[in-house]
Amino acid sequence: MTQITSILLALTLLSVLLSLGSNRLVSLVKIMTFQGIIVSLIPLTLLIQEHHGKIGAGNLLIFQAMVIIKGALIPWFLFMALKKVKMRREIEPIIGYHASTFAGLLFILISALIAHRFQINLHDKEVLLLITAMSTLAAGLFLIMSRKKAITQVIGYLMMENGIYLMGSALAKQTHTQYVVEFGVLLDILVAIMIMGVVLHNINSTYDGVDTDELDSLHDLDSNRSLFHRLKG
Amino acid sequence: MLELTILIPLLAGGLIMFVPVQLGRKIMIATGLIHLLLSIATIINGTGPCMSRYFTATPEGLLILLVTSFIFFFISIYAVSYLQETEISSEPIYLGCTMLFLSSMSMVALADHLVVLWIAIEATTLMSAPLIFLHRSRTALEATWKYVMICSVGIALALLGCFLIVLSMDLGGVDVPITFSSLGQVAEQLDPTWLKAGFIFLIIGYGTKMGLAPMHTWLPDAHSEAPSPASALLSGALLNCAFLGVYRGHQLLHQAGLGDFSGNILMSFGLLSMIIAAIFIFDQTGYKRMLAYSSIENMGIIAFGVGVGGLATYGAMLHLIHHSLIKSSLFLSAGNILLGYGSKLIEKTGNMAKLFPKTFTAFFAGFAGISGFPPFGIFISEVLIIMGAFQQGRTLPALIFILALIFIFAGASRLVMKMSFGKFTDDILVEEKLIRVLPSYALLLTSFVLCLWLPDSLYETILSAIATVGGSING
Repeated sequence: MTQITSILLALTLLSVLLSLGSNRLVSLVKIMTFQGIIVSLIPLTLLIQEHHGKIGAGNLLIFQAMVIIKGALIPWFLFMALKKVKMRREIEPIIGYHASTFAGLLFILISALIAHRFQINLHDKEVLLLITAMSTLAAGLFLIMSRKKAITQVIGYLMMENGIYLMGSALAKQTHTQYVVEFGVLLDILVAIMIMGVVLHNINSTYDGVDTDELDSLHDLDSNRSLFHRLKG
Repeated sequence: MLELTILIPLLAGGLIMFVPVQLGRKIMIATGLIHLLLSIATIINGTGPCMSRYFTATPEGLLILLVTSFIFFFISIYAVSYLQETEISSEPIYLGCTMLFLSSMSMVALADHLVVLWIAIEATTLMSAPLIFLHRSRTALEATWKYVMICSVGIALALLGCFLIVLSMDLGGVDVPITFSSLGQVAEQLDPTWLKAGFIFLIIGYGTKMGLAPMHTWLPDAHSEAPSPASALLSGALLNCAFLGVYRGHQLLHQAGLGDFSGNILMSFGLLSMIIAAIFIFDQTGYKRMLAYSSIENMGIIAFGVGVGGLATYGAMLHLIHHSLIKSSLFLSAGNILLGYGSKLIEKTGNMAKLFPKTFTAFFAGFAGISGFPPFGIFISEVLIIMGAFQQGRTLPALIFILALIFIFAGASRLVMKMSFGKFTDDILVEEKLIRVLPSYALLLTSFVLCLWLPDSLYETILSAIATVGGSING
């Protein structure tokens, strides 16, 4: 079972790197579907590992719900949103795809250093779990900041959520992992996606394109009347 | 019993979406009144909640509940008249969402469970997002997008903070319900390293919502794009609720003997917010943005006061009350100005003293109040915070604090002078009405009265609220 967990974790890392490098939105959503399923399976394998294969039906039910939400419902929402906005690819990311992939590798390295440095007592879980969690979280934040399309930012947020979910399973004891699973994600992801979907819909009907780059008319200072000009008089 | 403050607005909010607008407005005011009476009754009688597993009546929670329902009542009176003038097509959405917003804020004020508090704060984001997007303009869309995105990231980090606090519980070998009240009793057994880490994530997460710099970027946009009654609610009530999340974390760390650590963090965030506000308020082009930066400043002041501890904590709690009263009054006046001039830009306004004498009185008095002039309560609270800072030997932070206040006053007064006495030649759009200035006057008057006479039950509530973080009136 330990091996299965490790494989799943490695796959998660792979999906993180792939998502940072992919420029087509459809493939990005596909990667997120894959990642969602893997991430929701990891706590289950951890639980089986802990209890040597004996787990209750209630637990199984919750994990099934997680797989359905992360692996089916949310990707479905995302595909619907993609169809609606008729967007194929992220045209001009703020940070390029190669640089993003490289940044992803750096995140993994830094997470490994942090996990090693802090010598975190993980109740005999693997260190890889914490490394994966931290790099997924960082990569999600990175996607939010480095992409202009609203929908890519939502995907970045999703990835960050996945990272936090993994972090929860890495840090909490098994008795509390259950708890984390119940509360942490169910409400947040679903509702966030729905609301963002509504916002996306309205972006689309107000004017064309879902580019947050166009959403930059609110500024603090009038560009013609900068502070500098004012001080000069 | 206490859960009624959550349930009544929730049910009314659901109902209001399906009834005619005229009836809906009446329901909103009635619910505001019932909510206010309930919170006053709770402060006086001290009734507890039924579901004590998840909710509790803490003094600081009750204080924020009272402030929230008090300003909600006056804002709802104003909103009825304001909405009639603006003729928003989606008024049922406004009415329903403000009610649900009130319900979620009551839930924040009463939450005891870590996760319930987190869910409630997330709910306030979701319920207030439609309010910001009410005008459906492109800029409103941008503001809403920023608000939802930035606050959701913040709230996700706050959840991580909750995980870390649970971890510190596991490592400390304690097994109690994950509520602030029961964690507080075993606080000294919690693992200190992870508790500190948890607090840092909590303050980043809830601090985003509270508008602490450098996570404040959503706040000026959201406050300037939302319709004025909604801005008043955001500034006067929502920011307090987010502050409650931070305050609960600080309480826990204080009980665990780490109060200095969290106090220093709060102080630095507070000072940074004030400095950022002082820089950006200087050359603002919109008056609602100016007020929004003033909110960032005031949240900074509250965080600073709580961080300093001692007498300053009492000052911070007073500041919280008076800031809510005065700032919501200012935003209501700003709504009248927006109706009158039809623009949010300062350069499109002017000569307010002649054209809108009633609004001018409220706006100018509010500005004097928010800058800390004596007839209003912020004067007392800021003096107490400065005295407290000197008492604790925090000389340099206190000096930065005073300097930031001076800069903010200088920057804002130039803009307010231009609005009040500058030239204006065009026609005005909507005349001011008494019903739209009375709520502002009432809020300002309350601030004034609370300076002269603080009811005993309120005084006791504040004292017991600050006692949990080691603050007292005697320094």
